[in-house]
Amino acid sequence: MNQKRAVFLDVAGIVGSAVLAIVCGFVIILLVSDQPFQAISSFLAGPLSNAFHLSTVINKAIPLVFTGLALAVVFQANVFSMGAEGQLYVGGFAGALAALYVTGIPVWLHVPLILLCAIAGGVLFGAIAGVLKARWDANEVVTTLMLNYVAIIMTSYLVNNVFKDPASGGYARMAFFDRDLLLPKLSGTFPVHAGIFLAVAAVILVYVLLYKTKIGYELRLVGKNDKFARYGGILTKRVVVVSVMISGGLAGLAGIVELLGVHGTYKDNFSVGLGFDGIIIALLARNHPIGVLLSALFYAYLQVGGQIMQAESDVSRELAIIIQVLLVLFVSAQAVFGYLKQRAILRQRKPSGEGKVNADVV
Amino acid sequence: MPMWSNLWMQIADLTIIAILLRSMTPILLAALGGLISDVTGVTNIGLEGLMLISAFTSIAVSSTTGSWVLGVLAGVFVCVLLSYLMGFFHLRMKVDIIITGFAVNVFGSGVTVFLMNKIFHATGSYNPPNLSKIPTVDLPFIADVPILGKLLSGHSLMVWIGLISVVFCFFMLYRTPYGVHLRAIGEAPASARSLGIPVRRLQYSAFAWSGVFVGLAGAFMSMGMTSMFVKDMTAGTGFLALAVVLLGNRNPIGILIGSAVFGLAKTFETLLQTIPNSPVPSQFVQVLPYVVTIVALVVFAIRRQRAKHRTSPAAG
Amino acid sequence: MAGVCDTMTVLLQMKDIHKVYPNGTAANRGVDLEVHEGEIHALVGENGAGKSTLMKILFGLEAPTSGTILYKGEPVRFKGPRDAIRHGLGMVHQHFMLVPSLTVSENIVLGDEPRKGWFGLFRDRDKEWKDIAELIRKFGLKLDPHAVVDTLSVGQKQRVEILKVLYRGAKLIILDEPTAVLTPQETDELFHSIKSLVAQGYTIIFITHKLREVMEISDRITVLRAGRTVRTMLTKDTTKEEISRLMVGRDVLLRVEKQERQPGDVVLSLRHVSATDDKGVPALKDVSFDVRGGEVFGIAGVEGNGQTELVEVITGLRKATGGEVRYLNENLVGKSIGEIRSLNIGHIPEDRQTTGACLTSTIEENLVLDIYRLPAYKRGPFLNRKKLKEFARTMMKTYDVRAASEEQLAGSLSGGNLQKVVIAREMAKNPKLLIASQPTRGVDIGAIEFIHREIIKKRDEGTAVLLVSAELSEIMSLSDRIGVLYNGELVAVLDNTDELTEQEIGYYMLGIKKAEKEATAG
Repeated sequence: MNQKRAVFLDVAGIVGSAVLAIVCGFVIILLVSDQPFQAISSFLAGPLSNAFHLSTVINKAIPLVFTGLALAVVFQANVFSMGAEGQLYVGGFAGALAALYVTGIPVWLHVPLILLCAIAGGVLFGAIAGVLKARWDANEVVTTLMLNYVAIIMTSYLVNNVFKDPASGGYARMAFFDRDLLLPKLSGTFPVHAGIFLAVAAVILVYVLLYKTKIGYELRLVGKNDKFARYGGILTKRVVVVSVMISGGLAGLAGIVELLGVHGTYKDNFSVGLGFDGIIIALLARNHPIGVLLSALFYAYLQVGGQIMQAESDVSRELAIIIQVLLVLFVSAQAVFGYLKQRAILRQRKPSGEGKVNADVV
Repeated sequence: MPMWSNLWMQIADLTIIAILLRSMTPILLAALGGLISDVTGVTNIGLEGLMLISAFTSIAVSSTTGSWVLGVLAGVFVCVLLSYLMGFFHLRMKVDIIITGFAVNVFGSGVTVFLMNKIFHATGSYNPPNLSKIPTVDLPFIADVPILGKLLSGHSLMVWIGLISVVFCFFMLYRTPYGVHLRAIGEAPASARSLGIPVRRLQYSAFAWSGVFVGLAGAFMSMGMTSMFVKDMTAGTGFLALAVVLLGNRNPIGILIGSAVFGLAKTFETLLQTIPNSPVPSQFVQVLPYVVTIVALVVFAIRRQRAKHRTSPAAG
Repeated sequence: MAGVCDTMTVLLQMKDIHKVYPNGTAANRGVDLEVHEGEIHALVGENGAGKSTLMKILFGLEAPTSGTILYKGEPVRFKGPRDAIRHGLGMVHQHFMLVPSLTVSENIVLGDEPRKGWFGLFRDRDKEWKDIAELIRKFGLKLDPHAVVDTLSVGQKQRVEILKVLYRGAKLIILDEPTAVLTPQETDELFHSIKSLVAQGYTIIFITHKLREVMEISDRITVLRAGRTVRTMLTKDTTKEEISRLMVGRDVLLRVEKQERQPGDVVLSLRHVSATDDKGVPALKDVSFDVRGGEVFGIAGVEGNGQTELVEVITGLRKATGGEVRYLNENLVGKSIGEIRSLNIGHIPEDRQTTGACLTSTIEENLVLDIYRLPAYKRGPFLNRKKLKEFARTMMKTYDVRAASEEQLAGSLSGGNLQKVVIAREMAKNPKLLIASQPTRGVDIGAIEFIHREIIKKRDEGTAVLLVSAELSEIMSLSDRIGVLYNGELVAVLDNTDELTEQEIGYYMLGIKKAEKEATAG
């Protein structure tokens, strides 16, 4: 089996799982709704029905692209860093500080500086968990989960007590950024913000990074077989740290792009689980950058569909979440089928000497 | 300063004990559930979602039937079912436990809001009037005894169930063959298998036990600590329980201590919130359990590495 | 030694056992084994002779393709270990099956605990402790029942394993390479225990390749070779040398056309190298030898005698605990793996599926492991994909890798083809030193010939080749000089002359002979 064919089977499986999950969703709708067809049509057709809805889909997809990329990179290295949520808060926060407290430089310098600060924030915060894993083999799932909470809570403290804009009242936020720094909308009728360009650029960059550079080759190899990588002289620990740092940088970008494009400032708790959604996106995309772009759009499409469905019928939008969960499970299970199939192919080809049959088959 | 004297009064009043026990119980129960499955080698990452689902189910059933007992049982039952399902996806379909766990968490968050909306037409929170809650246990004579009364009487039934569960789990894990088998599976599955112990079947049953305790924890949150269901009301308690499991050294006493520590942190948080103009920001206290977990994890990792290097100097 | 058994009852008979695996490998080609009650029966054979398969068949872990098993005169076919255990068989594995954090008694009764209370839900710990104490006393295997297994020595852990089978009523006990991990003292204690058991009426099958022990403790011996029983005899009627000849004799020799060469300068030089294995047990003891350019130095020996660790130490995958590894005037000890590889040292690892290749990557990605960093193949941080592809295609052609394209996943290749990929990669850097570890294991005949020819070609070009193989015929056919590892020591270095026989090498491999310490060139 060559790589192209393997990829094709993968994609077919994912599409199949997606269809299956949506069908399950329909079944649920039929069961709970008094106006099932209204609900289904709002859900499916609503997001595409006008320019405004379509642009909402795209705007929602933008941060998901970044977090999806963040997770895809780190998953390809077989590191289970769940820290995108915390990293995007730290990155967004760092970028916000750069936006508000750096003055006197022209816009065309200021904006890249903001982005850089956001990336740096994410990189450094991500590096913490990376170093802990590389140095002491500390389980990265737990450390990143815990660090998420640390980031969320501490940035919340800072925005509530130190950097709070006095005019903000109940919902803490910093002062609004200069209008020139914000990401402009494409047009009045199609209010997608310029972050879309950054997102697409990020997809291309990550693609090039993973498949066309040295570090990408090492990263993917460590993820696929770290013993082989070590045998070849690759410093696996360093690759682990680098992968988490790249992931952190991308997550930081997610944060700042969302702030610059949608909110206009740093708002307390501005992320509604974007980091965790990134996990699902990366899974659906099988960790491939182009797949991330498509999955993010699809995922956002489901979310907006759910919102519209809630507005126009009697089904609440959490149904979209249920579909997303089913999607994840089906996709993961089918990934497993593919893997098991591959194992079967391999086993047939292996001529065993003494036969390495395990004695734990009872 | 009025703040400190206020605090001291609450300590002297032993109100703090009451708050501590109340804050500690959901963490303790969920962590015990997590412990049992962790002991067999599968860490249940989905505690958060399961707790949420139980919180909703129990209050839904209780408000419709008027019986808190049925509510608690329903919550537990649903969690056990879901745990079996998780077991199926992870053990049989070989979906990574992290994915399965996260799926349950996301699902729990979504489905509870969905049903709350669908069934009770409530958004954000569900506040049934005259809810049959989990009762508090007032011990008639002891309640009047000066210190002992405050210590022992007036706690929710679930608090007692939580403490009894610690003993229960201890006995189950160390004094029954079933418990020994569970521990053997987690540590050396090949050895267990070579002796004919049905590894898979026991792992499933451990998942089910997870469901039991997590179900109790969730029911307490909506029908003991409060009398309502709020969207995402577990607020990370499941993850805290997970941290306790990892820190608790794989035994119920460790879980008790860990839960108490985290419960204490939550208690201080609560107390500080009741004190006006306190100099310690609530976030610093909130963040404490998470920082503690990371530090403890690193310490354990370092110790584990040192032990390994002592026995074999293989190249790095 | 236990009583001789001319008149004893036959306890176990395995007749004409054949086992052919679905992929065509014939592990057992007519094995006969007859064990008498109350004897210590040694089962000997090299790796690959069929001993493990035979035992798996006995225990019901595998089904024989043909043949019968008679236990106590009745034909049996056990459905699995539990079934065999119930009939009185017990196996003490080479790799212990214990639960480290449980106590000795908990491990012994695991799965069959004494119970009490309603529904038998609770452990009857008093009865458990009493039964185990009694068991320990009865068999004289000194252990503290309350000790946690993790704290025990290897010899003690083995005693727990023995008690495990005794607790379940085993009368026929099989010990699989039991002395592989024991110190000489622990070995003595084990033999003492075995003799005591046999005196009480138990029967022992002792699987080993250490002939000194066979002579010391067994009553009768069955020799397996290439899946067949060669002979069964009384221990007192034979010698170590004879057993060795029976074990090691070859039917077919694969000889490669080889010219005489004059070896050049010393390329690789080991002095007093020592190392431990993953468990902390010494695996290499004071090993010293040289390899010159233009020669093949073969390391012979039964697997598990330090070969793996030797290769790991030289290539940097394991840190030596002592000694020097000199390569062209540089000491390799302490260098990183990447540094060593970049010194033009090629390494064909013994495990191509995990260490030698990445099965989920493409052939191209497997081939470029060394060169992707080189200036010629990259532009800054970017890979020069075109050049890498060319390289891969050229390599595949030169080394006859049969695949549709370089984009194919390595995991879909046959064993022989995958090995060719590994070899292509290692040979491509024109190594001055080539280390080949089990290079033709699991590879079809055609590929074996190809690989052998390539190795000789490199040797003719002046490369120093260190060949490690458990296949004695391969060693003899390719090597100019042969070193033998036994128990982590280099017990001999021999010139591969026409007069050298397998039997001679066999004596060294099996610990019968040991040469004087003249392992290094002048």
